[in-house]
Amino acid sequence: MAGPHIVVDGVSKRFETSADAVPALSEVSLAVGRREFCTVIGPSGCGKSTLLAMIGGLVLPDAGQVRIDGQPVEGPDPRRVAMVFQDPALLPWRTALDNVAFGLELRGMSRPERRRIAGDLLGPLGLREFAERYPRELSGGMRQRVAIARALAIDSEIVLMDEPFGALDEQTRLLMGEWLLSIWTRARKTVVFVTHSLQEALLLSTRVVALTARPGRVKSVLEVPLPYPRDLESPGLASLRATLWGEIREESLKTMGR
Amino acid sequence: MIGRVLAARAALGLGVVLAWEVAARARDPLLYIPPSRVLPALARLLLLRSFPLLPEHVWLTLREILVAYALAVGVGLAVGAVLGLRPTLGRVYAPLLGALYAVPSVVWYPSLMLLFGLGAASKIAFGFLLGVYPVVLAVLAGVRQVSRELVTVARAFGAGPGRVFRTVMLPSMLSTLTGGLRAGLALTVVGVIVGEVLGSTAGLGYLITYAYGLLRTADYVALVLVTLAIVLAIDAAAGLAERRARRRWA
Repeated sequence: MAGPHIVVDGVSKRFETSADAVPALSEVSLAVGRREFCTVIGPSGCGKSTLLAMIGGLVLPDAGQVRIDGQPVEGPDPRRVAMVFQDPALLPWRTALDNVAFGLELRGMSRPERRRIAGDLLGPLGLREFAERYPRELSGGMRQRVAIARALAIDSEIVLMDEPFGALDEQTRLLMGEWLLSIWTRARKTVVFVTHSLQEALLLSTRVVALTARPGRVKSVLEVPLPYPRDLESPGLASLRATLWGEIREESLKTMGR
Repeated sequence: MIGRVLAARAALGLGVVLAWEVAARARDPLLYIPPSRVLPALARLLLLRSFPLLPEHVWLTLREILVAYALAVGVGLAVGAVLGLRPTLGRVYAPLLGALYAVPSVVWYPSLMLLFGLGAASKIAFGFLLGVYPVVLAVLAGVRQVSRELVTVARAFGAGPGRVFRTVMLPSMLSTLTGGLRAGLALTVVGVIVGEVLGSTAGLGYLITYAYGLLRTADYVALVLVTLAIVLAIDAAAGLAERRARRRWA
């Protein structure tokens, strides 16, 4: 299909608090192409997560519109969009396998079929032996892989990831990034990935969108036309990193000065 | 191991019965009824010699419990859900419930008798009144246990309100909820029987007061034993239902 896969068109959102309304996003527009890995980065509280929730239909904008394949988003649509959150949010009373199958179950798929599909996913994710374990018996990295498998199981064209590795230690985080890339290159999905890590953004994305401090606006869009796997020490990445840090630093300072 | 546990329990029971027998014989056997007099009384009771209408009385008490408990569960779940899911309402009214709960419930019983009369209605009302609190409080506590993240995930994967309740909220609340439902059942039973004891014309509690009032102490103790057996049976049934619910939903 021609045209961008996801269009965010002049979207604004305010959140009502008991005292007043806090503007979270202000007239954000961006377009994400099919099979792109687009990272949204910005200082804390800039509305990155809100933007992602709006693309996923969990939050509706006050103004503007989000369109997927040209159709306005009016609510969660798991046939087209799967989501991964910072908290793996697995159902603690279900095994890893049944957690992976959760989205398929909500879709009305029979138990043997959804368990077969979920089981096929666990192997490549290094979780085969852990299929019948409960979330509390898994490490943080494994839990997040189960959450990602749950998103992949419903086989949507778009995967939205909200700081999925934010709670992990740095080594695990780097490995999870590599692992995610290998999946993305094989599955060729459109990914929108929210992070506050420059390194993660540069290693993973085809494009980085930097947001300003609250209320979030698009500050700059940076193409990363480098092949995978990437080396943080390479000159190309180092100069991109310097550029991006320049953009982010200014906004982070604003946040700190508040 | 289990054999030894059972043997130890039986030994304790036997010891208590023996001590009871000895103590009762030493004092006044009419007021301190020895087991040797209770057993024949129990036999007469179960053979329907002492109280031929016992089955009707038991059946009435059971029906009162059933109706009172059904009301307590229905109203308790509804009130708890409304107060739990509407935070503003919860903030306004939940503290009132807590304050009411602190009042010894038995002070309400006279007014219930004035309102509902001496018949089954006042017992049902009192059983309901006692049973409804634990259910409401359990729902309120349970709703707070539901993780917002899990609700968001369920919504993101396409669950509407009904599926969110069924797949996320109910299992999250299950242990708190079953605890409240069982506590509510126990208190409903207490409410109905205490109501009958305090003032009634029929039911197990009525028979107990009747036997006690006529100083038929052996019959009175036999009736208490029957009540105990019924309460234990109800609790066992509740335990079974709880285990089934856990297997089904969690």
